[in-house]
Amino acid sequence: MILSVEKLNLSFEDKSGKRKILDDVSLSVEEGEIVGIVGLSGAGKTSLLRTLNLLQPVDSGSILFDGLDIVGLKESEVRNVRKKIGVVFQSFNLYRYRTLYQNITFPLKIQGIAKKEIEERVMNIATELGLEHRLRAYPSQLSGGEQQRAAIARALVMDPKMILLDEPTSALDPKTTGRLLDLVVSLNEKHGITFVVVTHDMDVIKRTCDRVAYLQNGKLDFFGPTHEFFVKIENNEVSDFGKPLELEKGLLSANKKILRVLFWGTRTHEPVLWKIAKENDVMINILYGKIEELKNGPFGTLIIGVEGDKQDLFVEELRKSVFFLEEVC
Amino acid sequence: MLSQIFNATLETLYMLLLSGFLATSLGIPLGVGLYLCSRSRGLKGLYALLDLLVNIFRSIPFIILVLLLIPVTKQVMGTIIGPNAAIFNLTIAAIPFMARLSENSFNGVPSGIIDSSNSMGLNRWQMVTRVLIPETLPDQIGNVTVLLINLVTYTAIAGAVGAGGLGQLAINYGYYRFQWDVVFYAVIVLVAISQFLQFTGGRLARRLRK
Repeated sequence: MILSVEKLNLSFEDKSGKRKILDDVSLSVEEGEIVGIVGLSGAGKTSLLRTLNLLQPVDSGSILFDGLDIVGLKESEVRNVRKKIGVVFQSFNLYRYRTLYQNITFPLKIQGIAKKEIEERVMNIATELGLEHRLRAYPSQLSGGEQQRAAIARALVMDPKMILLDEPTSALDPKTTGRLLDLVVSLNEKHGITFVVVTHDMDVIKRTCDRVAYLQNGKLDFFGPTHEFFVKIENNEVSDFGKPLELEKGLLSANKKILRVLFWGTRTHEPVLWKIAKENDVMINILYGKIEELKNGPFGTLIIGVEGDKQDLFVEELRKSVFFLEEVC
Repeated sequence: MLSQIFNATLETLYMLLLSGFLATSLGIPLGVGLYLCSRSRGLKGLYALLDLLVNIFRSIPFIILVLLLIPVTKQVMGTIIGPNAAIFNLTIAAIPFMARLSENSFNGVPSGIIDSSNSMGLNRWQMVTRVLIPETLPDQIGNVTVLLINLVTYTAIAGAVGAGGLGQLAINYGYYRFQWDVVFYAVIVLVAISQFLQFTGGRLARRLRK
């Protein structure tokens, strides 16, 4: 476990009084994992991210990073911890009057690392991120995607154990978003870097996250594997994401029994439905279906109508082999 | 007359550049101090005090400040007339001005850049020398330009109380002896100096601003 957050509390004071931003939030991140922090704007996502390297001091609670409780450390000790945690901000925050090369080398230069070593490390990272031809450009001359990668390069150059990403895709177009997510996954797999990603972009969650922490009004409403989060979304327990599927009235009246079924993992590829239907001699009618590729396996939603004498038996059998089953009517 | 104007111009430039240099090299650190105090919870009191001092010094009209400073000037410089005494007065007047200008520029650095610098583990000294100053460099060039142009006016005012330079020339020959051509030439040189400063400063700032 690289990061363990226990009972974090944070509140801000303003004219209208005390506002609770984080309310007893506890979560943990394993080494080499990608964890997503999701929630509506104002749910406390970014505040939570900022507490993780103490940019935002907390009221109470503990943050164990790499076995060390970093809450209440002296300022000089905090600085040392921060050097092990890379942060890529939503607005990238590159130095405006430094070239891309100078931006990427900056964290190394302030640590007094030898010039030769800096050059080698920076060239390797720039090449890996496809920035090698832009090193002399100033931030204002770079595209959004390039600025984003520059910010990632600047975080990588410190050889961090963990990188915090704040809304990494909010400023990118869909194509650049795709490339960025591939990059995050490949950095995670190749270098074993742990990522904590604040986002409200479903694509980020689907394609990169192993686990998801869902914040609502400063409280941790859910923390678990990504597919379980999707079950919650499909079951309409997460009002902020997606909207409930509304079936056409005609369909409802034409079918005697309607089931909503969620699949996850390797079973998604097997003809489970067909097998069980055949065994129980029922007719099935597929009303709706979709499969999403999550990082930890395919996730399918299916709505089917069932007809036949043994339909109750069919439902019982099916329930055993799928992730979730609900009788709609 | 021409040699008088030439000598007066040299005196004005001497006062201008030296007081400008001193005010910049003392004013920017004071500006850094103001900025850091305003952002540190424990130093709000110190900030209030510095802020008040800066405001007081900036609101005293220069000619009155010169009069008020006479005993101090005499102690420090040994005299109250001539360019060197004027440089002392000009510097005292310009430091709070420069401090305020630079503080405003520091406040203009996007908070995200401060955050990301903090997240890299910079200490306070590195924050000032590697982030605050470089990130405000074009603005600070603009500030120094404004400062110097203000000092051009101040040197002329100082000339009225014995500082020498173009201001004194204009008053002694023009105002008291009705030699309006001297006033005219003095003004032309002063305007030319201001224009040159504005042009050079503006160009430099633009070149640094990427």
